[in-house]
Amino acid sequence: MVFVWLCGHPVSPLRPICDLRVLDHFVREARDSEVIMRGCRGGCGVMNSYFVPLTSVDFAVLEQIDGQAEEVQTGLSLLVQALSAARNTVSSSPLISTLDNNISNMHSLSQILYSLHLQQGRSTALSDDSASMSIQTQEVSTLPELLQVQSSFLRGKVRLLFSAAPACQKRNR
Amino acid sequence: MRIDTLKVVAVLCVAFVTIGGQSFESKVAQLLHDEADDLKCFVEGKKDLTCFWEEELERKNSHDRYTFIYSYEKEKSRTCDVSTLSLLASNRTVFLCKLPQILFFAVLHVQVLHDGRMLYNRSLNVENVLFLDPPRNLTVVSSGKEGQLNVSWLPPLLKYIDDSMIYEVRYAVEGSHMGKVEEIKASTKLILRGLQPGTRFKVWVRIKPDGVAYDGYWSAWTEPVFGATPPRDMDPLIVLLVLAIALILFILCVTVILSHHKFLLKKVWPDIPTPEHKFPGLLTVYEGDFKEWMRQNNGNMWGRSAHIYTEELPSPLEVLSEISLASHANSQIEERRTLEEEEEKTESEGTDSGITGSWQEPPQAHWFMEQLRALQENPQSFSQSMLLESPDTYVTLNQNSQRARAEDDSQVDDICDESLPLQTLFSSSGTSSLSASRSDLGSLQQSSGSGRLSSQSSFEYPNHTWPSNRPGYTYMAVADSGVSMDYSPMSSSRIEDLGKRVIYTNEYKNEIFGHKWAISGQC
Repeated sequence: MVFVWLCGHPVSPLRPICDLRVLDHFVREARDSEVIMRGCRGGCGVMNSYFVPLTSVDFAVLEQIDGQAEEVQTGLSLLVQALSAARNTVSSSPLISTLDNNISNMHSLSQILYSLHLQQGRSTALSDDSASMSIQTQEVSTLPELLQVQSSFLRGKVRLLFSAAPACQKRNR
Repeated sequence: MRIDTLKVVAVLCVAFVTIGGQSFESKVAQLLHDEADDLKCFVEGKKDLTCFWEEELERKNSHDRYTFIYSYEKEKSRTCDVSTLSLLASNRTVFLCKLPQILFFAVLHVQVLHDGRMLYNRSLNVENVLFLDPPRNLTVVSSGKEGQLNVSWLPPLLKYIDDSMIYEVRYAVEGSHMGKVEEIKASTKLILRGLQPGTRFKVWVRIKPDGVAYDGYWSAWTEPVFGATPPRDMDPLIVLLVLAIALILFILCVTVILSHHKFLLKKVWPDIPTPEHKFPGLLTVYEGDFKEWMRQNNGNMWGRSAHIYTEELPSPLEVLSEISLASHANSQIEERRTLEEEEEKTESEGTDSGITGSWQEPPQAHWFMEQLRALQENPQSFSQSMLLESPDTYVTLNQNSQRARAEDDSQVDDICDESLPLQTLFSSSGTSSLSASRSDLGSLQQSSGSGRLSSQSSFEYPNHTWPSNRPGYTYMAVADSGVSMDYSPMSSSRIEDLGKRVIYTNEYKNEIFGHKWAISGQC
C-alpha cells in the first residue's frame, strides 16, 4: 500500500544539504580510521590492488564545477568498492567497525551530492588532457594508503564541490 | 605567449616578495623558532610552497651545491632552484626553494641533497602547512552598551578556504600587559563583553586553518586597534530608587518639623518675656507710657490693690458717726492712728479674714452704736451741712461687692466705679484727703463675704447729692478709710427706688437704723 501510494504521489525532490559540518564529520571519521589503522597490530588486511580516484586539487585550474560532480560521484563509488574489498581481508574488530562506518559515510555523501542537483547538466572536461569522461584513477595496494586516499578525497574534491554548489551558494546569499 | 606570461608571473612574485618581504621574513623567522623539522615548508596561499633550511656558517656560500628534489604521489620527480635569504632581525641565513606549482590534497615528497648526499627528506600534504597572512581591516567600535566592544575583520582572500578558518582575538587594557584571548570559528565578528566601562582597549586578531580540511600555523598578530567602552550608565531603576528614598526622607523630616515646630521654635527662637499680661494695655494702648497708664488706671490700681488686699490683707474698719463727726474729728484722728497700728499688726499676722468674716470690732464700737441710735431717733437733726462740714471722706459699703468679686472684670468695674478719682465732698480738704484716703485705702483691711467692702469714696459724691429727705437709710461714714457702711435692712430696695446708681449696699442689716442716706456713686 505504501508503494502504491508512493507511485501515485511523486516523491518530492530532496532539499539541498549545504551544511559543511556534515562533511566535516565524515572527514573526521575518515581521519580516525587512519589513526586506528596506524595502531593496528594484527589482522590489518592484506596487500591488494585497489583502484581509487585521484585526490589532488590544482586551484589554478579549478574553475568549472560541472565535471567535478561526476568525478566526485565516480570517486565515491570507487572508494566504496575498495573499502568493501579491504574489509573482507581485515579481522581486527575496531578496523572492521571503522571501515563499515566509512562505507556508510560514502553512501551518505552520494545522497547529499544528489540533493545538490549537480548531475543534471552534462559535465565538461576539466582539462584538455582528460581522455574521456571517466575519471582518472590511481592504484593503491595497502589499506593505509586506501584510507589516506579516502581522507584526501573527502577533504579536497568532495568539500570543494559542496562549497561551490550553486544550490548552496543561493542559500548562503 | 606562455613565456611572456611566466615572466609576468615571476616579476609579480618578486614584487610580492619585495613588498611582503617583511611578512615573508617574519614567517620564516617564526617557523625557524616553532617548527621542529629541519626542512620547513609552508604555503602562504594557493599557488606557491616555500621550503627552507638553515645551515652552518661555513656552508653559507655553497647554495649551488644544494639540490632540492620534489615529487607528488605516483608522479615524476622535479628539481627546484635553491636560493639564500638573510634574516636581518636575527642575523641568520637560510636556504630556500619555492615550488611554482603545487597540488593540494596530495602527498608531496621533498628531498635536499648536498653534493649528491641526502641531507633532508620529508613527505607532506600542502593543505596541512598553510601559513596565512593576518586578517585585514580589523575594526573595533563601541556597541553602545555598557562594557561591550564590537570587533570585526575581513577573512583572507582565499576562495574555498575561508570557511575553514578559526580566529583568535586578543584584547587588553591600554598600557597593560595582561590580556585575554577568545577563539572564534567560521565568523569574522566578535562582541567583547564584560569589559570595564569607560576604558580604552587594544585588540589583536590572528588566523589559522581549523584543522578539518586544512591545517597550518597561526598567523602573526595584526597591528593593534584601539577601542573605548562607553562610560558607566546609572541604572535608571537605581536612580529612581535613590530619588524615591530621598523624597520619603525629606517628607518625614518636614512632617516631624511641622508637628514640633512650636517646641523647636521655642528652643531656637525663644520669646522675649513681656510683662504685658501684668500690665494690660500698657504696650498696646499706651505704647509703653507708664505714667499715662498709671494715670488712666489709677482707680484700677486702687481697686486691684484693694482686691488684692481683700484677698490677703484684712483691714480694720473705722466707723464714725456723722452727727458727731465735727466734735469727734480729733478723736477720730487718734482712733485712726490706733487702727493703723492695729492694721500693721494684722498685716504682720497675715490673716485673711475675708471669707470667714472675722470682723474685728473697732474699739469705739459701743460709742458708735450709741451715736447711730441717736441718729435714728432724730434723723432731722442730721443735716447736710454737718456732713459738709466734715472734712473727712466717706466710703460706702455695699454687699454687691461680694458678687462682684466672683468676676474679675465686674469687680474691677466695681472697684472702678468706686475708686475713681476721689472728689472731695468738702472742697477745703479734698486733695489732701484724697491722697490720704488713697493711702488709707491702700492699707485698708477689709473683710469679704457679708462684710465685703468696696472702696468707694465719698469724694465721688457731689455735695448736693446727699438727700436730706430720704428716710430709711443710714450710712456710716468712715473718716480716713472712706468706707461707709449701710446698716439699714432695706437698703438694697431703697437704693433702687432712688433711681440712682447706687452700686453697693452692704449686707449688714441693722434694725437700729431706720434712716439712711442715699448716696449716689457715679463714676
